[in-house]
Amino acid sequence: MYEKFPEGAAQRTDPAVAADDLYDAVIVGGGISGALIAARLSQAGRRVLILEAGPAEDLTLRGYEDYLNRFYEAISKDNQAPYPALPNAPMPRGTDVRPIVPGAPDASAYLVQNGPFATDTTYTRVLGGTTMHWEGKTLRMLPEDFRMRSLYGEGADWPLSYDDLAPYYSEAEREIGVSADVEDQAYLGITFDDDYVFPMKGLPLSYLDRTVAKDIDGMEVELDGVQRRLRVRPFPQGRNGIANPDYDGGKGYVPQGAVSAYQVEVGERCQGNNNCVPICPVQAKYNAGKTLAVALRTGRVDLVGQAVAHKVHIDERTRRVTEIEYRRYDRPDSPGFTTMRARGRLFVLAANAVENPRLMLASGLRGSSGLMGRNFMDHAYLLAWGLLPEPAGTFRGTVCTGGIADLRGGRFRSRQAAFTIDIHNDGWGWARGAPMTDLISLVDSGSRYGASLRQGLVDRVSRQLQLAFMVEVPADPSNRITVSPDFIDALGNMRPVLTYDIPEYTMRGVAYARQLSKRIFARLGAEDHTAYNPNFWGYAVHDGEGYEIRGGNHLAGTHVMGRDRTTSVVDADQRCWDYGNLYMVGGGSMPTVGTSNVTLTIAALCLRSARAMLARLDSETAPVNVTSNRRDAAPTSGKAAW
Amino acid sequence: MTAPSLEDFLLLSVDLTAFEETDLLGTGMAEGYLEKVRAACGDGIVAALLDAHRAARADAAAENGNQTRTPLEGEAFDRALRHRVFSDDRLGPVARNIIKLWYAGMWYALPPEWIDRYGAHAAVGTSTVTAASYQEGLLWRAIGANPPGAKAPGYGSWARPPRIADRYLKGARR
Repeated sequence: MYEKFPEGAAQRTDPAVAADDLYDAVIVGGGISGALIAARLSQAGRRVLILEAGPAEDLTLRGYEDYLNRFYEAISKDNQAPYPALPNAPMPRGTDVRPIVPGAPDASAYLVQNGPFATDTTYTRVLGGTTMHWEGKTLRMLPEDFRMRSLYGEGADWPLSYDDLAPYYSEAEREIGVSADVEDQAYLGITFDDDYVFPMKGLPLSYLDRTVAKDIDGMEVELDGVQRRLRVRPFPQGRNGIANPDYDGGKGYVPQGAVSAYQVEVGERCQGNNNCVPICPVQAKYNAGKTLAVALRTGRVDLVGQAVAHKVHIDERTRRVTEIEYRRYDRPDSPGFTTMRARGRLFVLAANAVENPRLMLASGLRGSSGLMGRNFMDHAYLLAWGLLPEPAGTFRGTVCTGGIADLRGGRFRSRQAAFTIDIHNDGWGWARGAPMTDLISLVDSGSRYGASLRQGLVDRVSRQLQLAFMVEVPADPSNRITVSPDFIDALGNMRPVLTYDIPEYTMRGVAYARQLSKRIFARLGAEDHTAYNPNFWGYAVHDGEGYEIRGGNHLAGTHVMGRDRTTSVVDADQRCWDYGNLYMVGGGSMPTVGTSNVTLTIAALCLRSARAMLARLDSETAPVNVTSNRRDAAPTSGKAAW
Repeated sequence: MTAPSLEDFLLLSVDLTAFEETDLLGTGMAEGYLEKVRAACGDGIVAALLDAHRAARADAAAENGNQTRTPLEGEAFDRALRHRVFSDDRLGPVARNIIKLWYAGMWYALPPEWIDRYGAHAAVGTSTVTAASYQEGLLWRAIGANPPGAKAPGYGSWARPPRIADRYLKGARR
């Protein structure tokens, strides 16, 4: 199926005209959350305005190719390499991170890090959001992830159960286009409807996965008195595979191709580019642009790019949001901007778990529970790397096709964090910059050239195995996003300030992960080359052992949902307890992060919330007073400080 | 001084990379790479490197009795290259950079001490040559993989063993 990003969609809405309009919903952020909600509301006949901080022309084919060329030409091929760095709408970049000196926040990059732990976690501020660079792994959360407090006395319970969310997981799997097989994914309590199949068949495991599986399948692990057998299991993937003819009761599934390009060229099945992060060159991987193109085609969705939300205005008497004040910069490469406003019946903050609370706090809206910005979560990644006895063809396939999921759940979670283990098809890339670092060391200090260099590369790169332990981080109110007038970006927006430490509970999981990695390497006959550098910015010590901890870009928890307005920021529909027409959506609503990458769960939550929003719009027929008491409703010009 | 010739540069590159001349020409990058090296080091140094390489081949040929196969291999040629090129303060870093240029498609900044001594021309820092040069890196071919983000091998190809030249696959050692 071919979806064209409508010609001129980024330009057709005049922000000055939009300012006098009353939309059914104003959405801040054009990532997957905003795109799904815009699609559902507009398909039901509602009018929507999306405010996007990035330039918003990126979903044309030319825009996408600009991304690709920027990536090819980049010296550092990190996870933001394809995306333009914009002073008016800056974003964190993994290469920004520095060790934090106690007592001195690191304000050298956009995300101010207050410590004590430094993280390289990122998100992408372009149209399509972080799904442009996401890896595309789409694990469902376990049923027990929703009941962590009652089952294990750790973290929080959700106001929703797995069963409540299951139909929306299925809907999200359709929207994203997930390739997986039910028989591989039904474990640790994950259930599917009797006749359910995924839209597309599972992607094959890599030769590297198969090499690992030969020794690891059947490996026994005892944890908290329970014996388990590990196996290498394929991960569900948000990228196109072979459509399953049995999908939807035999109706089948038509994969969504690339936006704005014909399927014969790109957008079909995954071709194994091994570059899911930072950009799939052929759009076989889902990105939110695919959903945005559908939403924009309804004709009921307006999109204003270069629009950075500045302040959420509320009416204290009605406890409703009256408008979003935003700064629209004239051009990506110049500091001029105009202050505009957007008004609607509903307002949806769909920026992400850092930008959502940042905007609220910058607007002076701390929330009656005092939890706005608190309980920041991410995954803590521990890497372990070794060399297999034989070449295993590392650096082929998607970034990750398989791993070990058997330690995602169980009684041990009352004591230590659970994890998923990824087998990285890109070798030691994440841990040590392979294969370029291998090339450099073989040539510069290994006296290798010619045939001995080629042999050295096969010996050293094609045997690489990197295990990535994605360890859960429980909610802790002291891990938080705040703002401060001391830290302002070029456009005059307060920057997010992150205070973050890795909880002991997580570190116990990390320590166990390292021990397990040693057993796995021994069973494989692999040389363990793992060494954690005390000067590493994310170095953390637990029980006298030091570890390198990396960020997961799986942001969650900063406006948690709950049953009670005193212990949560939003309800199960992601509606703010404090303001009746305000929804804060995305990872920030999640009370636990579990051991699955967050995007699929975010999508399921947003699809569920979209129904609640439609019901609310249907029930609210009273006219909304659009003349707020602001005197400066007319656009005003300004100049950014750069 | 005549400009360094592409032919000589290719002859050197074949010996440095252990890829055939047709492979190197097939990347479409040979002219661009020679230009990059000349811009970074100056023609004098490039010519000296090509001369040293020619002399190393002559040394080896004399010792081996006129063996002229390309890439030249064997103990005598290896020793001659080490003595005349790789251990040379001026030429060694340039030769290593040419290897990395072919393998990574990237020109790495020369070491600061080299620039201090010889680098009148060397304002060229770490940089890619073109967007295509990354995609043409020989590193990926050496390990039987595609450059991430380009030259996709096709759906499911990753499930099969890597296509690494037999000689290197069998020679793999722990």
